[in-house]
Amino acid sequence: MRKLAILFCVILAGALLLSVSPLMAQDSSITVAIGGDPTTLDPQAADDGNERAVNDNIYETLLTRDASMALQPLLAEGYEQIDATTWQFTLKSGISFTNGEPMNAEAVAFSINRNINPEFNSEQLSFFETITGASVVDDLTVSITTNGPDPILPARMYWLKIVPPVAAQADGFAENPVGTGPYKFVSWSRGQQIELEANAEYWGGAPSISRVVIRPIPEESTRLAALQAGEVDFVRDLIPEQIDQAPVVKHIPGLEFPIVRLNNKDGILTDVRIRQAINYAVDKEAIAEALYGGYAVVAQAQVINSSHFGFNPDVQAYPYAPDMARQLLAEAGYSGEPIQFIGEAGRWLKDRELIEVVAAMLTDVGITVDVQILEWSNYLDLLFAAENQPSMIFVANDNTLFDADRTFSGYYSCEGRVSSYCNDEVTQLINTARTETDSAARLEMYHRVVELTREDAAFLFLVNLENIYGLSERLEWEPRQDGKILFAQMTLK
Amino acid sequence: MSAYLARRLFYSIAVVIGVSVAVFLITHQLGDPVRMMLPLEASEEQYQAARQQLGFNDPVLVQFARFSVDAVRGDFGDSLWMDAPALPLVLERLPATFLLAGTAIIIALVLAVPLGIIAALKPRSLLDHVASLTALLGLSIADFWLGLMLIFIFPVSLGLFYTSGYGTWEHLVLPAVTLAARPLGRISQIVRSSVLDELDKNYVTAARARGLSEQATLLGHALRNAAIPIVTLTGFELTRLLAGFTVVVEAVFGWPGVGLLAVDAIERQDLPLLQADVFVVAMIVVVINLLIDLLYGALDPRIRY
Repeated sequence: MRKLAILFCVILAGALLLSVSPLMAQDSSITVAIGGDPTTLDPQAADDGNERAVNDNIYETLLTRDASMALQPLLAEGYEQIDATTWQFTLKSGISFTNGEPMNAEAVAFSINRNINPEFNSEQLSFFETITGASVVDDLTVSITTNGPDPILPARMYWLKIVPPVAAQADGFAENPVGTGPYKFVSWSRGQQIELEANAEYWGGAPSISRVVIRPIPEESTRLAALQAGEVDFVRDLIPEQIDQAPVVKHIPGLEFPIVRLNNKDGILTDVRIRQAINYAVDKEAIAEALYGGYAVVAQAQVINSSHFGFNPDVQAYPYAPDMARQLLAEAGYSGEPIQFIGEAGRWLKDRELIEVVAAMLTDVGITVDVQILEWSNYLDLLFAAENQPSMIFVANDNTLFDADRTFSGYYSCEGRVSSYCNDEVTQLINTARTETDSAARLEMYHRVVELTREDAAFLFLVNLENIYGLSERLEWEPRQDGKILFAQMTLK
Repeated sequence: MSAYLARRLFYSIAVVIGVSVAVFLITHQLGDPVRMMLPLEASEEQYQAARQQLGFNDPVLVQFARFSVDAVRGDFGDSLWMDAPALPLVLERLPATFLLAGTAIIIALVLAVPLGIIAALKPRSLLDHVASLTALLGLSIADFWLGLMLIFIFPVSLGLFYTSGYGTWEHLVLPAVTLAARPLGRISQIVRSSVLDELDKNYVTAARARGLSEQATLLGHALRNAAIPIVTLTGFELTRLLAGFTVVVEAVFGWPGVGLLAVDAIERQDLPLLQADVFVVAMIVVVINLLIDLLYGALDPRIRY
C-alpha cells in the first residue's frame, strides 16, 4: 500500500513536471487591454490611438525616436537636405515586408504618395501637409519634395508608416496589415481581439515575447479588474484613482495638455490684464495634486513639454496669486461682467471636473463665469467658429509630432484653425520659423514665441497629464513619452 | 391567416422604411460628421476635401436619393470611421448580442416563473414578500453597478469566470446574469399578478371542485391562461435588449455586441453605420413582434387571424 502511494506520488510529480515545463518554455505570450477596438488597421487612414497601439508594432517608419525622444534612423540609413525643398533618404538594405515584398525606395515613395493622395483622404493628412511628393532615385534612395522649406520633414517621417505597395493596393488591406516590424498580424475579430505573433525574421532581431493578444475593454474599471484577475498583463490609460489597486504602475509625462483658450480678438478678454488675472487665479499645483492624484505636472506656460522641439525651459508657469488676480481685475475696471466659458464632457480625462474647478477658482477672485458644457458636435462648432468666438473654451492638445510648429500653427497663430488668439508678432515668428532650416535660429524663434505668449496670457495654461499604465507582476517595460506601446520592448520576468 | 400575414408584412415594411427615413433626416441635421472624424489640427482645405469626397456637400435631397437607392439593395455605404461596409459590420456583431440577450431572457424566465408562482400561491406570506423584494431589487438595481460588483466578487476575488471578453460559456455567465436582473424583476411581477388573477376565476374553482389536484389546476389551467401577458412582456423585454439596451452591460464586460457598436456610431456620428444599425434593429423588432402575435394563436386557440 505504501509503495503504491509512493509510486503514485512519483507519477503525479512527473506528470506535473512534464505538463509544466513545455508550458514555461512556450509561455511568452501576453494579453494587452486597450480602450477600444481600432477603427481600421490601415496604418495610413486613421488618426486613432487604438489603431496605433496595434500598428506601431507591425509597421515601421523611416525614422524613430529613442527613449529621450531624439530622432534616430529606423528603416532609413540616413538623410540629407539636398536643397530648400528636397530631402533625400537612403534606406537600409535587405529589409522585406513579412509578405516577401522588398522594403525599397519604391515602397517608401509609394507609401508617402499614398498617404498624401487627396483621394485617399487620410485623417493623418495634417501631419504631411507640406509634402508634395516622393520619387525613387535608386533602389535604396528616395527623394521627398515639399511645398517650401520644411525643417520638420524628418519629424514627419517618424509618423509616416511604410506599407508594401502590392498588399496595400489589394482588397482587404485595412483588415490584413503587413509591415516590416517586429510583430506579424495573425487575426482580428472585431470587438473581441487582435492577435499578433513575433516576426521571427525581423531584421532587428526577433522580439522576446512571441505572441500578443490585444483586447478592447472600454470600461476603465473592467480593464483594471482584468489586470487584477490576471487575465491581462498590460492595460493603458489607468485613471489616477485606480493606481493603488494595480499590481505594477508605470507613468510618464505624456503629450496631453488641457488648456483654456482665451479670446483676445473681441469681447472682454481683449484686455491682457484680465487674461493674466485668469492665469494668476488658478492653482495649477492643486489641480495636478487633487484632480489628477499627482499624475500631472504644471505646464510651464506653454502647451508643449521638454520633449518637444521649441520648448523654452526658462519660462515659468504663472504662480497661484489670487490677490494679484484681484488687483489686475480692478486695474482693468472689471466689474463682474459674465465671461462665457465653453466646455464639453467625457472626451478627455476629467474634463468636466477640470472645467468646474477652474470656474470655481475664477469665481473666487470675483470673475463671473458663465460655464456651458456642450454636447460634442455643438462644442466643435464653437471651437472651430471663425466669428463670434467664445471668450473661454476648454480644449486639450497633444502634439505627437514633437515639434512646436504643430501646436503653435494651430493654436497660437492668428491664422490657426483652432485659434482665438491673435498677436502679429507671434504669428510672424511662427510663420518664419516654419520655413527656417537653421535649427538654432528656429529654436530661438520658438523660445521668443513662448516668452511673448506667456506675457500676453494667450491661454489659461494648466497642466501636462501623465500617461499611466498598469502591468502584471511578470511583465517588464518602461513607458515612453510619445505614448507608443512597443511590445518588442517588453520582456517577461 | 395569409391575408393577416400579408397585411402584417406590409405594415412591417412600412415601419422599417419609416424608421430608416426618419433616422436619415434627423442625423443629417445633427452636427458635422466630417469635423468629428478629422483631428482638430486638420486644415480647412482637408476638411472641405473630405466633405466633398464623402458627399456631404451635396444637397440633402440628393444625399437622400442616393441613400434610398443604395439602401434598397442592402447597401448602407461604408462606415465613415471603419472603412468597411456598414451593414456587414452590424450583422457581424449581431450573434454576440443575440447570445447575450437570449441567455439573459432564459435565465430571467427560468427564475421568474417559479418565483412569481410561489408568490401568487401564498399572497402576502413571507415567501411572497421575499419574492416581491427580489423582483423589486432586480428591477431597480443599476446594471453597471451590478456588473462591476459581480466582476469584483467573482473573477477578481474568487478567480471564477472572466471580467470581460467573449468566446466560452464562462465569459457569458456574468454579463448574462447582470442583464437578466431587470427582466427577472418585471417578469416575476407579471407572473405573480396574472396567476393570482386566474386563480380567482370560476374555472379554477370548478377545476378544484372536479377534484383536480392543485398542481394540475395550476399548471394545466391557471398558468396556461396567465401565459399571454407573460409572453407579451418577455417579448417586450427581449426586444428591448436586442434594440440596444444591452449596451451598458456590453461596455462593462467588453462584450463585442451590436449595442457597443451603435453607441460608438452615435458618438462619432458615423451616419452609414448608424443607419445600418437602426435598420437592423427595426427589422428585429418587427420580426419579434410578429412571432409573438403568432404565438398568441398557439397559446389561445380562440385567437384567430
